[in-house]
Amino acid sequence: RGRGRGRGGVDVRVRCGPISDHLARHKYDVIVVGGGHAGTEAAAAAARVGAETLLVTQKIHTIGALSCNPSLGGVGKGHLVKEVDALDGLCGRAGDWAGIHFSILNRRKGPAVWGPRAQLDRELYRQFIQSELLSTPRLTVLEGSVEELLLTEPDPEEPGHHRVTGIRLANGSQPVSASSVVLTTGTFLSGSLFMGQTTSPGGRIGDAPSSAGLSHTLRERLGLRVGRLRTGTPPRIVKDSVDFSLASLHAPDKQPTPFSFLNTHTRCKPEEQLPCYLTHTTPGVEKVVRESLHLNCHIQQDTKGPRYCPSIESRVLRFPGRRHQVWLEPEGLTSDLLYPQGLSMTMPPDVQLCLIREIPPLHRLFFFCMHRSEMCYGVQYDFVCPTQLSPALQVKSTQGLFLAGQINGTTGYEEAAAQGLWAGVNAGRWALSMPPVALSRTESYIGVLIDDLVSRGVTEPYRMFTSRAEFRTSLRPDNADLRLTLKGFEEVGCVSSLRYQEAVRVRDSLQDALAALQSLVLPTSSWKKILGDVGISETKNSILNGMDLLQYNNVSFEMLASAFPERFSPHLEFSQRLEIEAIYRPHCDLQRKEMERIQREESLSLPPDMDYLSLPVSLSQEVREILDRVRPSTLGAATRLQGMTPAAVVQLLSYVHQTGKKERRSHRNQLDQKGREEDGCTRNVVLPQ
Amino acid sequence: MLPSISAGIWRGAQHILRTSRVAPRRTGLCTCAGIPGELCDAGTIFALSSGHGRCGVAVVRVSGPASTTALRCMAGLTHSLLTPRTALLRSITDPQSKEVLDRGLVLWFPGPHSFTGEDSAEFHIHGGPAVITAVLQALGSLPGMRPAEAGEFTRRAFHAGKLGLTEVEGLGDLIHAETEAQRRQALRQMCGDLGRLYQDWTSRLKRCLAHVEAFIDFSEDELIEDGVLNQVDTSVCDLQAEMERHLKDERRGERLRSGVQVVIAGATNAGKSSLLNTLCQRPAAIVSPIAGTTRDVVETALDIGGFPAVLSDTAGLRDSPDLVEREGVRRARERVEQADLTLVVVDCAQLPSDAQQAPAFLQGHLSSILPTQERSQTERCLLVLNKTDLVSEEWRQQLETELRRSSGLPPVCLISCQTNEGLQDFLAALHSSIKALCGDPLSGAPSLTQARHRAHLQQCVAALSQYHRYRDTDLALAAEGVRLALTSLGRITGRVGAEEILDIIFKDFCIGK
Repeated sequence: RGRGRGRGGVDVRVRCGPISDHLARHKYDVIVVGGGHAGTEAAAAAARVGAETLLVTQKIHTIGALSCNPSLGGVGKGHLVKEVDALDGLCGRAGDWAGIHFSILNRRKGPAVWGPRAQLDRELYRQFIQSELLSTPRLTVLEGSVEELLLTEPDPEEPGHHRVTGIRLANGSQPVSASSVVLTTGTFLSGSLFMGQTTSPGGRIGDAPSSAGLSHTLRERLGLRVGRLRTGTPPRIVKDSVDFSLASLHAPDKQPTPFSFLNTHTRCKPEEQLPCYLTHTTPGVEKVVRESLHLNCHIQQDTKGPRYCPSIESRVLRFPGRRHQVWLEPEGLTSDLLYPQGLSMTMPPDVQLCLIREIPPLHRLFFFCMHRSEMCYGVQYDFVCPTQLSPALQVKSTQGLFLAGQINGTTGYEEAAAQGLWAGVNAGRWALSMPPVALSRTESYIGVLIDDLVSRGVTEPYRMFTSRAEFRTSLRPDNADLRLTLKGFEEVGCVSSLRYQEAVRVRDSLQDALAALQSLVLPTSSWKKILGDVGISETKNSILNGMDLLQYNNVSFEMLASAFPERFSPHLEFSQRLEIEAIYRPHCDLQRKEMERIQREESLSLPPDMDYLSLPVSLSQEVREILDRVRPSTLGAATRLQGMTPAAVVQLLSYVHQTGKKERRSHRNQLDQKGREEDGCTRNVVLPQ
Repeated sequence: MLPSISAGIWRGAQHILRTSRVAPRRTGLCTCAGIPGELCDAGTIFALSSGHGRCGVAVVRVSGPASTTALRCMAGLTHSLLTPRTALLRSITDPQSKEVLDRGLVLWFPGPHSFTGEDSAEFHIHGGPAVITAVLQALGSLPGMRPAEAGEFTRRAFHAGKLGLTEVEGLGDLIHAETEAQRRQALRQMCGDLGRLYQDWTSRLKRCLAHVEAFIDFSEDELIEDGVLNQVDTSVCDLQAEMERHLKDERRGERLRSGVQVVIAGATNAGKSSLLNTLCQRPAAIVSPIAGTTRDVVETALDIGGFPAVLSDTAGLRDSPDLVEREGVRRARERVEQADLTLVVVDCAQLPSDAQQAPAFLQGHLSSILPTQERSQTERCLLVLNKTDLVSEEWRQQLETELRRSSGLPPVCLISCQTNEGLQDFLAALHSSIKALCGDPLSGAPSLTQARHRAHLQQCVAALSQYHRYRDTDLALAAEGVRLALTSLGRITGRVGAEEILDIIFKDFCIGK
């Protein structure tokens, strides 16, 4: 897999030309539509689980492009990057390759909420993703636009239920068939672009709008409920025109911390990192926004916007009279542009310039510094209400159709990558006749993200926050490998054996080290003699073990290792993880019971076609309607629905319990039959020999 | 006197022993069934499991790993004295003050041979409310103990595979009934000053949590004002101090009357006050032919066939331009919402002259009076058709025939408060309804709710100290303390979800994309 090899300058077009006849006739297991963060992770994940995969994208050149901010990670988002990496996804390693400014946010607020983050070089990130996809076995990349989704006629037994059979491309060529299709079309589903009072169709400036066919299929043929969301980007600013003396400098961490569990260091050397700058809005900015409101149709259409402030307009309108932060972020090692994080807006170009020049370090900015593609614009786009998806991110009514990324109403690269990976895994498994897999809220932020989406739905672009995870102290960035890599290899099949072996080594070493710490039991007085004054309280006759000691702020694992070298120095590699473990272990133990309960409930699945309105158990009409609308896939998801009563949960439980055995038996029969059919084909070939 | 009480206690114990042996062991169940509901977390739970009213003995059940702690701290049963499934006469003491609360029988059922499959204990104590409250509060003060949630004993039994499938089906209904009883009980307590106090604490705690969460999730990217955490520090300290003061305060606030809450409701001039006067055999309420005579709630404590009841007469339900009467109608509706049993009084003379239409008319009338969630629960309502002296005997018989034929109506009594006709039948019906309600330990016992509240508040205060402990070293763990505190308080005032916290964050801070 060529990890750590030099890359850059790989011309992907050499390998992936326009559609050729042999491609068109080929049947794939999985087709992924879209080459953004969701699409690339989906394609790579599907290929990793063993599926023959085709990635179709409008422009091969823009695969892996960062179409908005040049950064990855952060608080909550960094957790997702670590988890995607733990499942052998791409974005963590790509971040380590392309990062030019690394920092761990929340450093002083506790390891559970540390936010690993990096500013990225756009070019390097794109190159890494493209070359990684090229070297992925079983993955083909194709340039083209998808015209139509191919579906079977609805099952007469179950009206409205389809199965996906492939796609048709826009250039009128033959259909390409596949067992699963993953749609990751981002903002391109009926997307329209806004700037000032002009509106044009499209999902991103500089790219052709995607065909209306796909949107039509989802809405009309599949009858999926869609909603509309919007987002926007700030302008790009020419570095030379910025007066940095009026902004405050933010240096990166002295020692960059890689995202990936496989990397010990980043490509960028510590001293080569670039700084960020922080500046603030002024009352002049507010004045420009207010005076140009009539020229701004994106904001005028603001009927019931999100609760947060996606644009500078909404910031100053909702929180007037305050200073708002603007970060000036580097776009790359060689780029002469800066990205002003916090300056998204949708006004006409001349007003944009007026507004920007009200910000002190940007007062020298001239209009010719900004290209059209570097102006701000807003995007409105359709998203598919994600409550119509299963926890495997499959459309409940359409077998083999998976959705991931902004099409599900989320925002952010990391949220997209996480869904992409999971949709890809399940699309691959579906195509290979393996049962779907789900991640629980109790084991990962990816599980929290997907559960929130499919059981609660979205009313504004969904973004990950650590406060959404009820088991935050257990789901830490530091232990994502232990939480997910082992499962990813043993149960899911999306993790390489190389990564798995590393995770096993880490797990075993940590266990040994923790056992060694726990077995070292000494009276307080002895600890004091050994370690000196580290704030151990004076309680008489108390004995403490090594784990207890590590809970003290002033005690580090290194100190213990130098006091007991023969016991602890073999584990010095894991000092930080051991210290974190010692602090959180007691709290995690308290949470374990609750986590186990949720896992038990999540293991009880509710049949997707359950007729809640006439279910022969005593349920109130209200509860029936809630269940019928949301159709939770497990008892656990049902329990978390608003309006569910404990009594209703018990009724469901006893019903599921009774029918569960029957269901399982019939499902097994189905799988057996499918297996026999496929075996049959092979045997026909094998027998004549 | 003591021997006779002991004999009574002993009978109770045998009864319990028998029922616990009857419960079949179905361990096969637990392999694939999870425990439902959100409150089946670990810990040791306790509850009064006998009814109230005229009972000499009350049974308090304890289930969970700390059961033996309870026996040791409150009944002095050290390990060597513990004998499984044997009733022992012990002094029951408060674990803190060592004060003797009662003398009664205690039993120990080591798991898995118990109703819940866990270590369990039972305290058979005297049935007076003061003793029960004292024992429940003493249990609540032990570490790891909390009051059981609705149906929790049965749920634990289910999880341990101690219940058959038919029993599980009944469990849903049982939990429904218990949660309803708790909800009504809580409503009664929460509408007063105490409710306002708890709500105020909840909203302040929510804000604290929102601000800590905002600081964790957004302060690195967004401008979160300096001093947000300092404000939280102060708020958490204040809240802790207020709750501790409240827990120490011996005045328990307004004393709630114990007993089944019976509310008389209906249209104006249906004869509600007459019914109250008839029942308490004295003119407790003013009766007049003028509609809207009763404006406030008139409350009387009654003993009905040996069961305690609090009877409330309410203002007639009608739209009125009069401000005072409107307030009376609002209070009447509030009382109906909180009632264990509602007597809906209807003037016979106001029924449709065609007796065939009467059932449909009454059905419509009921739904205008009873709160939505109770319309289907006919057992919690009695329909009283008053003023039978004003209608003809023939029409009355027609009406009775029609009512017998129709289904879906609660029990109906025809009476005349003027002539006392039908009063005996009505009293019998009332007696049996109240008796059924008294079998449920949760209806009409405010001390139980108070004990629950107390335990949750104690947990809340304890959790808040985690905030201070980690405030400067690990904000994630500090926030965890506030979250746990809010969860405990939420068991009194209602659960608080992550979205509610985000609502506050987005309202108070400017958060970007």
